[in-house]
Amino acid sequence: MHHANHYYGHSHVLARYCGLDDTDPPRLHGYLQHGWNIGDGLAPDHEYVPGVPSFLWSERTRRRAWSLGRRQLYVVGSPFAYLLTMEPISPSEKREGTIWYPFHGWEGQHVVGDHDGLMAEIRRTEAGPVTVCLYWQEYRDKRVRQRYERAGFRVICHGYRGGWWKDLDPGFLYRQLGELRKHARVASNRLCSAVFYGALAGCEPAVYGDPMHLEREKSAFGGQERILREWAGLHGPHVDPAPARRIAVDELGADRLLTPPELRRLLGWPMPRSVEDAELTGVLTR
Amino acid sequence: MTVQLIGGEMLQWSDLSGTHGPLPAGGPALLPLPAGTGGRTLVAGPHDPALIDAVPADQVTVLVRGVADAEALAARYSARPGVAVCCGSLEKLAAAPAYDTVIALDGLGRLCTPEAPDLSWDEMLGQLLAVLRPGGRLLLGVENPFGLHRLLALPPAPADTDWVAPDGPSGPADLHSRLAAAGVPVVREYAAYPTPGTPAALLGAEVLADPGLRGYLAATLAGARPAPQLLADPDRLVTGALRHGLAASLAPAWILLAGDIAAGPAALTANGELRLDGGAWVRGDGTPIPIGRTLEDLVLDACGRRAMPVVRELLTAWQDGPAAGVPAGQVVVDAAGACHGLTAPASPASPAPPVEALRRLAATLIGGGYAHLWPSPADEAELTALLAGMAGRELDPHSVPAGDPAGARPGAGSVRELMVARDRLEQELADARAKHEFYERTIASRDAELKRVRQMNALLSATVPGKAATTLVGGLKAGRRAMRSVVKRPRD
Repeated sequence: MHHANHYYGHSHVLARYCGLDDTDPPRLHGYLQHGWNIGDGLAPDHEYVPGVPSFLWSERTRRRAWSLGRRQLYVVGSPFAYLLTMEPISPSEKREGTIWYPFHGWEGQHVVGDHDGLMAEIRRTEAGPVTVCLYWQEYRDKRVRQRYERAGFRVICHGYRGGWWKDLDPGFLYRQLGELRKHARVASNRLCSAVFYGALAGCEPAVYGDPMHLEREKSAFGGQERILREWAGLHGPHVDPAPARRIAVDELGADRLLTPPELRRLLGWPMPRSVEDAELTGVLTR
Repeated sequence: MTVQLIGGEMLQWSDLSGTHGPLPAGGPALLPLPAGTGGRTLVAGPHDPALIDAVPADQVTVLVRGVADAEALAARYSARPGVAVCCGSLEKLAAAPAYDTVIALDGLGRLCTPEAPDLSWDEMLGQLLAVLRPGGRLLLGVENPFGLHRLLALPPAPADTDWVAPDGPSGPADLHSRLAAAGVPVVREYAAYPTPGTPAALLGAEVLADPGLRGYLAATLAGARPAPQLLADPDRLVTGALRHGLAASLAPAWILLAGDIAAGPAALTANGELRLDGGAWVRGDGTPIPIGRTLEDLVLDACGRRAMPVVRELLTAWQDGPAAGVPAGQVVVDAAGACHGLTAPASPASPAPPVEALRRLAATLIGGGYAHLWPSPADEAELTALLAGMAGRELDPHSVPAGDPAGARPGAGSVRELMVARDRLEQELADARAKHEFYERTIASRDAELKRVRQMNALLSATVPGKAATTLVGGLKAGRRAMRSVVKRPRD
């Protein structure tokens, strides 16, 4: 339905959860929220067609979107939370250091701010080794990458976001989860999806440092200031992990994931071929 | 036996046949009531003969206003000594000697005839009390002019019975003082549901006051009713009235037991009486009554709060249990979350398959205006499949059986439900048009892209590497064909 449904391999993860071929997920009948946001859950550049449902991550986002006049909303939870149910983390896994996500722009956007100051602050705050994860645009920029490497950080990239059905990267979330589960902490200079993912994957979250800004950044829905007010408990170099995890569960809808039959019906996806008698018996326990 | 014509009788009229207004007072809920009476008894107004049969007295006078009814009753009781049939208008009935018992369960609306002077409701009650001995027994049905059946009724066309517009009492409270003053204090007041004359349930105050019985009562009162044209589905209003303590005030009728008579059971339903046994409510046969609200009520409530996880829990508990095939309105969920299916002995038909129960719930949700909670188009089959999915079950919407024809389902043809359906379809049409436009635009842009790619393809094919590639692919295809023919040959 919308090319953003395939960002970060989201639809691929859901297809696997639904028991379908996750190398080529079927068309998804609706808009799937693809990142944590403080508005109606959809990206500002979404073309909104009436009657097309929006599949949102959290109940809070649904309430907000409803109050903003959106309809046909349904809370399904985030693809990352579904991935975690399929790739569970055991508490005995060895974790070390911090994975740090500097605030980035998306395709065509540029971040303005003091990178050296930020790197110094990271060094001062983090006791263990630090992995810096850059967005693919910045990772591809040799100068940016080398600045972080020279500061002594391991620099990685989870892959392409994809767009318009090109450069789709079904492995994105898997790579991200693979990195998160190796680290004890997750941090960023802005509260973002990655921090919530980390908190849900068992990392101790932190948000600190110059939040920087985008060129010609429009602060919709209250912007950075509102994020600070509403999610104060997640800000600071060291936050209380238990409430932080509860917030992550809420925001990622991890406590309201659907069963595969319900998700398939909502997304307009077929039943897996392996369930041969489903068509005939009507109701079949899965 | 001959019919005694007392004056004011109606020659071409029958109240017993139901041709002039509703059927006479009757039904299983009323049937046990005459047992508590005795002495010289007057049965005033149309009553189901089964009810008259149940009158234990030796001396019974039956008063009806239509000659045909009087003759039918006379024929019926020709072999029963002590039964007299009078035909005419109440005010013509001899006041002396007074009766020990007066049974007027049909109310006061069908006691007088067009020949009678205009009497107000209160004056008619005075006439009735005038023939009752002070300290006697009175069984009185009183239609509630502000009852649910009136609130939900479409404007009626004037009928032959409406030669004068009847009034009524403002409420049972007035009646209590009035009857006490007449020497017959009220000992029991029942709220009668769902129809005034032929109620399926008589509910006493202590039953209505117990919140734990709401589910059982809602289930008992639902669906036990014909489906005339109404303003809205009464089930939802009954459930709401029970919840807000208004079930007595909004009852279609009240049944009063007054005077020297036992108070009777706490409630009478088509399934028998309800009584307290060791602090727990049981049916007449000792079956315990499940305490809680109905599954349908809980699901609708959760939908109102948009609490989809709660809906999932409820549906899963229901569909995983033995009550899976029982309609949600007939399932009571207790405090522990267990689902108790109430299968009425009156309809011991084999339990419907779960998918049918789910479909009925889907219809209720759509009729209740909750379809917007799910992505459209949420028609009955689609929503049924989604509800099954919420219970963790696989269901193809194509395998959902077709529902009842509109009108056969309670509330389906009501004005409110029709408005809900119209609004929903209007919205679906607008959405479908918007989607159609979007698809048109998408197809146009894909067509342009396809054209561009084909042109590029043609251009590239014309170049030297392109030609080489075409030759190579052609060669590979020929090779594959050759291989296939070689591989296939041994099988021939």
